[in-house]
Amino acid sequence: MMLTKAHPEPSKITTSPRTPESLIPRPTREKVTLWIILAALIPLTLASAEHIEFDLRALGGGFGDVANLLARMLPPEVNDPPRVFELLLETLMMALLGTVLATIISVPLAFLAAANTTPHPLVHRGARMLITMCRAVPDLVFAVLFVRALGIGVLPGILALGLHSVGMMAKLFADAIEQSEAGPREAVRATGAGRMGELIMGVLPQVIAAWLGTCIYRIDINLRTSVVLGFVGAGGIGFALQDSLRGLMYESAMGIVLIILVAIAAMEIASIALRRTLLNPISAGPAPRVPDVSSALLPPWSGDRRTRTIAGFLLLGAVIYSLIHLRINPLVPITSFGELAAVFGRLFPPSISGAEELLLPAVVETLAIGLVATVIGALLAIPVGILAASNISPARPIFAAARMLILVVRAIPELILAVVFVAAIGLGPMAGAMALAVETIGFLGKLVADSIEEIPVGPLEAVRAVGGSWWDQLCNAVIPQALPQLIGHWMYMLDVNIRTSTVLGVVGAGGIGFLLMESIRTLNFNLAGTIILLIFAIVFMIERISAWIRKHVA
Amino acid sequence: MSLIQITNTEADADIDSHHSRNIQADIAIEATALHKSFGSTHALKGVDLKVAKGEMTVLLGLSGSGKSTLLRCLNGLHQLTSGEVTVLGEAVHVAKARKLRALRSRVGFIFQHFNLVNRLTCLENVLIGAAGRIRGPRYGLLSYTKAQRREALGHLERVGLGDLAFQRADSLSGGQQQRVAIARALMQKPELILADEPVASLDPQNAANVMDLLFQVCREDGITVVCTLHQVDLALQWANRIVGLRSGEKVLDESTASLSKERVLEVYQQLDPDAEITTS
Ligand SMILES: Nc1ncnc2c1ncn2[C@@H]1O[C@H](COP(=O)(O)OP(=O)(O)O)[C@@H](O)[C@H]1O
Ligand SMILES: [Mg+2]
Repeated sequence: MMLTKAHPEPSKITTSPRTPESLIPRPTREKVTLWIILAALIPLTLASAEHIEFDLRALGGGFGDVANLLARMLPPEVNDPPRVFELLLETLMMALLGTVLATIISVPLAFLAAANTTPHPLVHRGARMLITMCRAVPDLVFAVLFVRALGIGVLPGILALGLHSVGMMAKLFADAIEQSEAGPREAVRATGAGRMGELIMGVLPQVIAAWLGTCIYRIDINLRTSVVLGFVGAGGIGFALQDSLRGLMYESAMGIVLIILVAIAAMEIASIALRRTLLNPISAGPAPRVPDVSSALLPPWSGDRRTRTIAGFLLLGAVIYSLIHLRINPLVPITSFGELAAVFGRLFPPSISGAEELLLPAVVETLAIGLVATVIGALLAIPVGILAASNISPARPIFAAARMLILVVRAIPELILAVVFVAAIGLGPMAGAMALAVETIGFLGKLVADSIEEIPVGPLEAVRAVGGSWWDQLCNAVIPQALPQLIGHWMYMLDVNIRTSTVLGVVGAGGIGFLLMESIRTLNFNLAGTIILLIFAIVFMIERISAWIRKHVA
Repeated sequence: MSLIQITNTEADADIDSHHSRNIQADIAIEATALHKSFGSTHALKGVDLKVAKGEMTVLLGLSGSGKSTLLRCLNGLHQLTSGEVTVLGEAVHVAKARKLRALRSRVGFIFQHFNLVNRLTCLENVLIGAAGRIRGPRYGLLSYTKAQRREALGHLERVGLGDLAFQRADSLSGGQQQRVAIARALMQKPELILADEPVASLDPQNAANVMDLLFQVCREDGITVVCTLHQVDLALQWANRIVGLRSGEKVLDESTASLSKERVLEVYQQLDPDAEITTS
């Protein structure tokens, strides 16, 4: 995208909105949109902070409590290491199988949901709706429901990860299809190929790299989530963690947390390496010698091709081994479809009986937590993200430190952060908001850094060439170019934080999640259905607002 | 008094003030034994170059012969591997960040791909040219003073794009974008302009227009120019001097007064035996 679209020269652009006297242009739609966002955001955030009694002074007082808690967690210890490592292995396998399941569901769904490959506009709408639905139901809620249907074990966890991941993966898969070029497809169609051939030969090669990237990214997220799923009986190391917390064995809880951190950090590094080798083929170096084209009808075994093939077989092996090790029959989701459907059926018809007075305040509280957390989180995450972008970071050590900070924060599951903040400032929404704000540094910081690294370098170089300073590069080249992505990521973060805040209710960190978990615990499934619909409505609304903003700020 | 005249006189005054600072007042660029390697690639193998103030020099050479690398070494966008470069009295090879920025603010650089910020208006892009000389970062049009905005508009008018001041840069054609980039360079009030294949992504007609514009404003303002180019006609029409590079070495350095077109074409053929020379 280095080259700008070249229009034919004589086509003088019409209607220039120029006002020579004031030297200020008429406000563009983009400017107006940005002002509307700001004008809405500031009072809303302040009101939300007021509503959840957000008070930074509470943090100061909480330091003692956290120090106390930490003191009781030291020295970390690991009771029964074989069991813990078995559970860790289980967690890794859950993440892998959940992601594979999600991929299997997402591929056909994405073709139905992409505007340019869908068989019918109604199918397109329906598929997109289904995808949003999957995203709106937090994985923890899926897990609770599946545990109800299938009993305690890893299978409910895998299904929960799989279904919830469809919400993100199928969406990104479909977006990639929509961004693919029509040319190659037309060329395939022109050869007389059928519809399947068109999709497989014309579209798939264009999107496969983006899809792979999405899968790698998602397995990373699923590992973090699968840690937490044990809290509700869906298998994995979360089991052991909850045991320790319940039994007030803080030293062993700390030991498990450290093991989790190491596993997640290792996975993050592995996924970065994987992304490098699979997505950026080594272009340098001499081309491998083609032995004899007439006899060899396969491409030569270049380094890339070897890596890819090995990675493919390793993945297949890992999936099969996991299925055997966890004793999972891949057909179970189909054979026990009846039980699954029954649990979901009990969510209907939605009703609010038993929570008439509680529901609305809980929804408002959840929204307030999400908004405050995302605003505070962004104030912290955007500077960190800028310092963690290799093309603008002022110095190598700063870059490394910022990336490290992001990595460490990302490695801490939000539920654990919530536990710490609950200990520091007591039960309530502020603990949830703080946990999410800190989590945002890791999540949003990474998105910001990655999208800044993708901006065209030309303008940065131009600012440097006129003698501009670091700040000039930031203000004149980085922020103007990255602005639409920054806003998009922020909206996405808001969506994530509101959905996560529904989960934080589990540990008493406020919001609608508490009500949701209570309703499932007391078998009031119809109320749970209502709450899930409400979350869906919120997520859907944020998606509409994002789309509106994207249309005006591009 | 028109805006253009203001800028001209200011530019002249600037040059004068620098004159007094410089030891060799009439030398704009002096490079000796320039070496630059990227890993195992030896892009420049001991190039010497001396350019007088006000001179217009065209660099010719095949792709990969080191033209861009040479230009980037001159304003410190690339760090030298060895050798010495003095530009406008400043020793680039030893200059530290602050000195280097101060020097760059006096040297305009024109890129092949324009390097405009697509999402900003033309006027904002031109104002970026002032980043090196005004203190503190700016964000948004209103953060610049009215005088600065007026000056930027003056430069846009000078390149014939005053009407498009508030258009987004990516809504312009390639030729128009390069003219905005020239206005951005003029905003620096440069004493020297380095242009790296400024018209290589334009069609022949636009290429000629943009080159005419660039050389004309430079001649009017007394700006020294070093420009890489593939059009021999244009080179002969405007340049005082032609320098040829081949695989990182200087193989030709002659004044155009003593050069016929045939001779340049001959040399160009030598530089690039397979080149199809377009004499537009
Ligand atoms: N940033 C860089 N990293 C590595 N090699 C480079 C870089 N820039 C240029 N080169 C190499 O240096 C040589 C000269 O390139 P360049 O100066 O761009 O030539 P020209 O501008 O004449 O086409 C080429 O071999 C090129 O591959
Ligand atoms: Mg070049």
